[in-house]
Amino acid sequence: MSIIFQLLINGIIAGAIYALVASGFSLIYNTCKFVNFAHGAVVAFSAYIVYFFFSTLNFNFGFSVVFALLFASILGWAMNHFVYKRFRDRKASNSILLIASFGLLILIESLILILFGADVKTINYIQVTKGIEIFGAIITPLQIFIVVSSAVIFLALFLFMKKTKLGKAMRAVSNNKDVAEILGINSQTIYSWSFIIGSFIAGIAGILIGLEQNLEPTMGTNLIVKGFTAAIIGGVGNVYGAILGALLLGLAENFGIWYLPSGYKDAIAFIILFIFLLFKPKGLFGIKREGDREQ
Amino acid sequence: MISAYFIHLLILVGIYLILAISLQISIGFTGMLNLGHIAFFAIGAYTSALLVLNGFPFWLALLSAGIVAMVFGYALSLPIKKLKGDYLALATMGFSFVVYAVLLNWTELTRGPLGIPGIPKPSFLGINFSSNFSFLILILIITLVCYFLINRITNSPFGKVLESIRDDELASKTLGKNTSKAKSISLMVSAFFAGIAGSLYAHYITFIDPSSFTLMQLIPVLCIVIIGGLASMKGTLIATFIIVLLPEPLRFIGFPSSVVGPMRQIIYALFLLLILLYKPKGIYGKVEME
Repeated sequence: MSIIFQLLINGIIAGAIYALVASGFSLIYNTCKFVNFAHGAVVAFSAYIVYFFFSTLNFNFGFSVVFALLFASILGWAMNHFVYKRFRDRKASNSILLIASFGLLILIESLILILFGADVKTINYIQVTKGIEIFGAIITPLQIFIVVSSAVIFLALFLFMKKTKLGKAMRAVSNNKDVAEILGINSQTIYSWSFIIGSFIAGIAGILIGLEQNLEPTMGTNLIVKGFTAAIIGGVGNVYGAILGALLLGLAENFGIWYLPSGYKDAIAFIILFIFLLFKPKGLFGIKREGDREQ
Repeated sequence: MISAYFIHLLILVGIYLILAISLQISIGFTGMLNLGHIAFFAIGAYTSALLVLNGFPFWLALLSAGIVAMVFGYALSLPIKKLKGDYLALATMGFSFVVYAVLLNWTELTRGPLGIPGIPKPSFLGINFSSNFSFLILILIITLVCYFLINRITNSPFGKVLESIRDDELASKTLGKNTSKAKSISLMVSAFFAGIAGSLYAHYITFIDPSSFTLMQLIPVLCIVIIGGLASMKGTLIATFIIVLLPEPLRFIGFPSSVVGPMRQIIYALFLLLILLYKPKGIYGKVEME
């Protein structure tokens, strides 16, 4: 019984982390309509920024976090402004944008590798403490913090999309760009904002992951892969679906390794991805999109 | 000394050329954005290495590498038949992650992260190809055969069916072509040649481990295909030389070896972005990616 509970808790923690990556990814996907692999690199880079300022230069932790978030947002904005915008101006297809974002991901990962080296890094802000026991399962205060802060961020994101003018404009562009433009919404500005906000969330994800796990230069690839799997499971075109998809993915992985050797954890995500692509390509809450699946 | 270095580069050009023209079949000719190609390369390399180490002759291992990769190509074609664009890209990429996870974890067969050392250099028809020069001759012959075969396939009526799928799948169906079967065959042929390239790679380097077959390794191949131009064999040939030789000067500038690897990736990634931005059809390409 306590094993089941432990797996459940581990699944929720993993799910919360994936959801942070997936929601930012999904936000960008919804407005800009292409798979931004480089989102993973933003997650990784902001974790490394905290490491650099806090663990190497011994700055204040709060300052390091603020700086990392600022950096993540600027990086997202810059990627859109200097790379993707040019492709859009040329009316490039979303396959080309996908390859370009893949190129950016490799570019930024290699940059991290040169700047920080290939060895594993740890931030060491919160000392490893004894976990709290709930029904025989163990959860550390940091893990509770991760789950709670993800929940807060999702609530904030929900309110932002529903209540603010910018959030509404984003939904309008995501729904129908041409009509939104007729109504006087500047879609270029909306693209910029969705990159800034999406990357900001990626920055938060990077920091929380950096506190919980070790930093590796290739961590971004691994995370973005989980992020888009979650987004597809939840349904493309739906940020909340992505969050739920991420939770499902986290749970499936952690319960999956009950049966399979733990090394196969990463493969489980793809087996689920294949099942969804085959039987439910629109995901759990997906909205039909043009060219999704043509017969 | 210098000639040995050039022989090494030419062997790499040969292996990359087979890998790139086989990827051209699925991306360039059929228009399927296949990001799982490196998995077929891996399957070919492991199949061939394991067979030869278990006493089978090289020619049989080489052929089996292609055939086993082809079988996996067929298996992959089933779930992705109806997918397009970015969904297809994600699914094929997912396939390469699954293969990677299996290579890493099925330790009884693949020795996992330890890799397979001591893969013998090929011997074939009583000739031993252990020196790099003789290996170059072997690569040259096999590359020419592969180039010739793929050229024939893509210029055949079947190749035209593939191109019609890329340009307008619905029109192709209207003309009575079984497009899902054609796509499946395209992926299988593509996988077959990638498997051959994998076998040659394994026997040349003589050591393989899962880390040689990650997404990072796909970048140069993808670069070649896009720089050469979709569906252009001639462009692919030129681009292979460019991509293999381009990062070589890094070796002589005197960077530490830990920097050379990522530097090379940065050069590839930058080159890829610049080509996509300023010359999206590549050197000799006729079509742009949809």
